[in-house]
Amino acid sequence: MATLVSVYDMPSDVSTVVRKLKNRGFEDLTTYSPAPFEEIEEAEDPKPSAVRVFTLIGGLVGVVTGFGIQIWMSMDWPIKIAGKNIAAIPPMWIIGFELTILFGGILTVIGCLILGGLYPRPLDDHYSPRFSAEEFGVVVRCEDRDVAEVESLMRGNNAKEVTLAASH
Amino acid sequence: MAPPPASAVADSMVVASRPRDSQTNVDIMAVTKGFHWPWLVAFLFAVSGVVMALSALVYQTYHGFGVAGYQAPVFWGVYIITFVFWIGIGHAGTLISAILFLFRAKWRNAINRGAEAMTVFAVLTAALFPLIHIGRLWKFYFLLPYPNQRYLWVNFKSPLLWDVFAINTYLTISVLFFIIGLIPDIAIARDRAVGWKRAVYVVLSAGWQGTGKQWKAHSRTVLHLSGIATPLVLSVHSIVSWDFAMSIVPGWHATIFAPYFVAGAIFGGFAMVLVVMIPVRKIFRLERYITDYHFENMSRFILFTSLICGYAYGAEYFIAWYSGVEPEQTSFWQRAFGPYWFSTWCMITFNVVMPQLLWIKKLRTNIPFLFVLAFFINLGMWFERYVIIITSLSREFVPAAWGLYIPSTVELMVLTGSFCWFSMFFLLFLKMFPIIAISEVKELEIHARDHAHGGAH
Repeated sequence: MATLVSVYDMPSDVSTVVRKLKNRGFEDLTTYSPAPFEEIEEAEDPKPSAVRVFTLIGGLVGVVTGFGIQIWMSMDWPIKIAGKNIAAIPPMWIIGFELTILFGGILTVIGCLILGGLYPRPLDDHYSPRFSAEEFGVVVRCEDRDVAEVESLMRGNNAKEVTLAASH
Repeated sequence: MAPPPASAVADSMVVASRPRDSQTNVDIMAVTKGFHWPWLVAFLFAVSGVVMALSALVYQTYHGFGVAGYQAPVFWGVYIITFVFWIGIGHAGTLISAILFLFRAKWRNAINRGAEAMTVFAVLTAALFPLIHIGRLWKFYFLLPYPNQRYLWVNFKSPLLWDVFAINTYLTISVLFFIIGLIPDIAIARDRAVGWKRAVYVVLSAGWQGTGKQWKAHSRTVLHLSGIATPLVLSVHSIVSWDFAMSIVPGWHATIFAPYFVAGAIFGGFAMVLVVMIPVRKIFRLERYITDYHFENMSRFILFTSLICGYAYGAEYFIAWYSGVEPEQTSFWQRAFGPYWFSTWCMITFNVVMPQLLWIKKLRTNIPFLFVLAFFINLGMWFERYVIIITSLSREFVPAAWGLYIPSTVELMVLTGSFCWFSMFFLLFLKMFPIIAISEVKELEIHARDHAHGGAH
């Protein structure tokens, strides 16, 4: 297996080369970008992010918890206030809403950490501080026999630099 | 034809010389490096103020609430006023980060980090005041529903409890929003730091490398957090307003309170962003990133929300008169012409009259003028809360029970200390993390370059 690391200046070149590489069946690739660019994210993985599932689960858990604790605690220590029901629902919307947001937000961030692999760990071998400056990187792992084709695709899409990082 | 061996391909590849770092990284990270006299003076001043306020607080805790200006019938004083003030200040950050993000207002990119930091520190400051106000600080956990030996729970029908949940939710979501936005920029700092700073950044950057997978998760997280933070930011100050509006005190029992408080919070919050960011831009020479265009847009927001505040002030007086309810009419008459007339007229002048100057474009782009105006708006917003709370409580239904509240020295020391506490955190932040969201600024710059280059968007 070989690993090719290419460097670009423009996000449009990165999204184009990623799309072309994937069309040719080179799926094992990673992009590095100094800023968020939707076109690159789309080219690399067009499926919707699963973060929204975490948000939804958090929100549902939050609303159930919000109403649940209020109803249970009100019933557990019943005090009649202003002639209202012991477990009066209308005022519970406030805390129910707040906990929906709270749990939804926390789960969203947990989803981001899980899906983005965000935890203190060693950086990839091919990562370079250049990718946190203004350059973009595309790293492709391919068979030795495909190196020439991958390199030509990269150079054909304005790669300013292509290096063969590893070959086993 | 058989492909050439990989080693032969590698030999044919030309490696370009290593480029310089991005100018944006260099300029913005420069704030965290080196020595700046104005920063040191401000920091020492802030720390002194915090020490002074802590001394006053210890004195009050030891001697009891008699040393505060509380006396019948006014038992919500400077501490509650300052609590509402700081919660209001905390609204601009989320508005800029979440709401302007959803509206795709790209101009927010240069100011959102500063505003988010301000939000977190303002809410942290605000959260101290209910604790100070309860007097026995060590009993603060009574505010929360927790299992206890007497099997009693909190009263879920009380707006004060709603407030506890709202403030804690707002603080948590603001902190999460802030941290998530900061991670890519901490990675930038990590890649350029050495020694102990690098070790700290390595942990805080959480393995960020800017891969497509990470950016996708990050972008969607920011989007979803913005979506849920938008109703949250509107709810928080509405709930704070219900601390007042749910009661029957003349001057408080009004349905307009929620939108009135939210508009006031955005108004005051934007003014505070100006007060903070104008000196930061000047001292750290960030004119390339925070331009007059940003300040002009913020002054437009200030002008708009000032009009809403002016409308709310007018509506309150109109409804008081139109309702025919004598205690309500008396309360409002006393606001304008009673013992607290000074604070009322300061409020109207600073919050409604002076901001009208922003109709003039020359003044909207005059930075010293904006700084002075924003300072007075903050003063006016503090007076607004003073007027709402003190005049209403001191002029309730029975004239025989009317009283006068004058803030004590201890309260004023704690109030001053709150500004120093906020400034201390902000100044520390300036020296630790990028004050401008570098990756978001780069997104705009690179996109512009790509367009000029004929990129396919």
